Amino acid sequence: MSDEAAAPEGNPVAAPDDPPLVVEGLTKDYGSVLANDDVSFTVHRGEIFGFLGPNGAGKSTTIRLLLGLLKPTAGTARVLGADIRDEAALTAVKGRIGYLPAHLGFDEEATGKAVLDYHGAIKGEGRRDELLEIFTPPVERPIREYSTGNKRMLGLVQAFMHDPELVVMDEPTSGLDPLKQEGFNEFIRRERDRGTTIFFSSHVLSEVRRVCDRVGILRGGSLVELEGVEALLHRSGKHVRVHADDAAVAALTALDGVVDAEPFSEGAQFIYAGDPNALLDELARHDIRDVEIGEPPIEDVFVHYYGSEEPGRRGPETAVDPGDDGA
Amino acid sequence: MTTVLETARYEGRRRLRGAAILTAGVSAYSGFIVWYFSVLEGIDYEDVFEDLPPAMLEAFGIESLSTVEGFLGAQVFNFVWLLGLGLYFAYIGGGAVAGDVESERMDLLLAFPVSRARLLAEKFAALLVPMIAVNAVGGPIIYLFVLAIGESVSVANLFFAHLLSIPYLLVCAGIGFAFSVAVDRASIAERAAVGTVFVLYLVESVVGGADAYDWIQYLSPTQYYEPTPILIEGTYEIIDTAILLVAFAGLFILSQALFERRDI
Repeated sequence: MSDEAAAPEGNPVAAPDDPPLVVEGLTKDYGSVLANDDVSFTVHRGEIFGFLGPNGAGKSTTIRLLLGLLKPTAGTARVLGADIRDEAALTAVKGRIGYLPAHLGFDEEATGKAVLDYHGAIKGEGRRDELLEIFTPPVERPIREYSTGNKRMLGLVQAFMHDPELVVMDEPTSGLDPLKQEGFNEFIRRERDRGTTIFFSSHVLSEVRRVCDRVGILRGGSLVELEGVEALLHRSGKHVRVHADDAAVAALTALDGVVDAEPFSEGAQFIYAGDPNALLDELARHDIRDVEIGEPPIEDVFVHYYGSEEPGRRGPETAVDPGDDGA
Repeated sequence: MTTVLETARYEGRRRLRGAAILTAGVSAYSGFIVWYFSVLEGIDYEDVFEDLPPAMLEAFGIESLSTVEGFLGAQVFNFVWLLGLGLYFAYIGGGAVAGDVESERMDLLLAFPVSRARLLAEKFAALLVPMIAVNAVGGPIIYLFVLAIGESVSVANLFFAHLLSIPYLLVCAGIGFAFSVAVDRASIAERAAVGTVFVLYLVESVVGGADAYDWIQYLSPTQYYEPTPILIEGTYEIIDTAILLVAFAGLFILSQALFERRDI
């Protein structure tokens, strides 16, 4: 690990400059499934780190290992300086961690208020009122009446209300409507700016792109690449679906940067990773009945850049962006 | 941060409603039995049960139905406390941990700055709410019912019949708890726990009479809590209570060890 050489090996106490999250060769083997295969990365203080991967890639496994819910088969990680294999050390730092699980199994019969009271009594609740102004779950009502979005908002309040140093979130925006999602993005940027370190998983490329300082990509249990958001943005391309006559389709699919072109009866779809102006110029030249340009499905991005085979063991940090020195 | 048994308090509050319903139900049943005793008064029970085989008398704990103590022992304590509450606490013990694992609520609880051992201990402590309520409230209510029909029962004997049921019920809850930490699904843990306690109850009742296999009965917790003699004569074996407490400690330590090692 090039960027954490200063951290002493096996030191249970976090040095002030010790990164909040250091993952070293983390492996979880369920026998039939290798859910995490030698995953290594470092999250620096005060950055938003996106942990991207398709469903089933093992993102939740990594997160559950980091919180001590699962025991690693091999490798380890240090969370705020605590080795995840050392329960006492990890428990001691948990008061400084916020956690938002993918599925929020709140006590359905309790009201949101009762749940927050309970969490607050154990972890602290200094920022509870402030957070309830941003996220607005109906705290007086029992949780069984909550929508998915309301549960998620209650989850966000409990994850942040004790003002943790590190917040770990598993698919935090699933179930939030687009407006709340934008609010969430702004919120975590502000949290980052106050010095909170944020680590969250997602299978939505656009979300990760918009808010993350750095991204790790997990696929088939292995960390494929660790790169800056800009690089990812540049490389991932657009999904284009166009309805037009055969001549137009032929001209469009012949453009530089077109991959995976799939013609259908009245048009074609493809991934376009070339110059956007060239695509728009070409589109303008033809009679186009309909066109959609959007986010490519994440699986397509992976297939395009990493091949359709499951990744084997390879160096996890083939590219680390230079500008990751978040304060 | 003040973390003084917050989980035990929260979980205990969640059990209040169930405890109230349980206590009300058991009290109502006890009231019915006491009233029924007053209706049956004057019948010669020795005649009624003369024809029953001794094993059956033993199984139902029928020793002396002509006194209110004997009637309570057979109809309330042997039936409700030994069997009914035994199964009930096995059942709620079975759901206590597996239910949270199944609903993924455990993810949130284990993110607290609280060790697994302590979390588990506090969750078990919450089971004491219904256990204490049904005895502390049910006991005085039974006493008042008995007074109400113009009979009397020894306060000390009634007190010990309730007090000594606690170690027995702890073992039943402990059996449920051990299943609860071992499996991921509440319904499986609950069924396994109820089945186990029921089979142990049957084993003790059935094998009790047969000399060749009489050692088997000692496996059953029901062997170590006999309410009828406590009610009638005030007699009990302190070693029985000690055995139950040791068995409970063993189950609790086993649950802790399983929970400490398992993946959630």
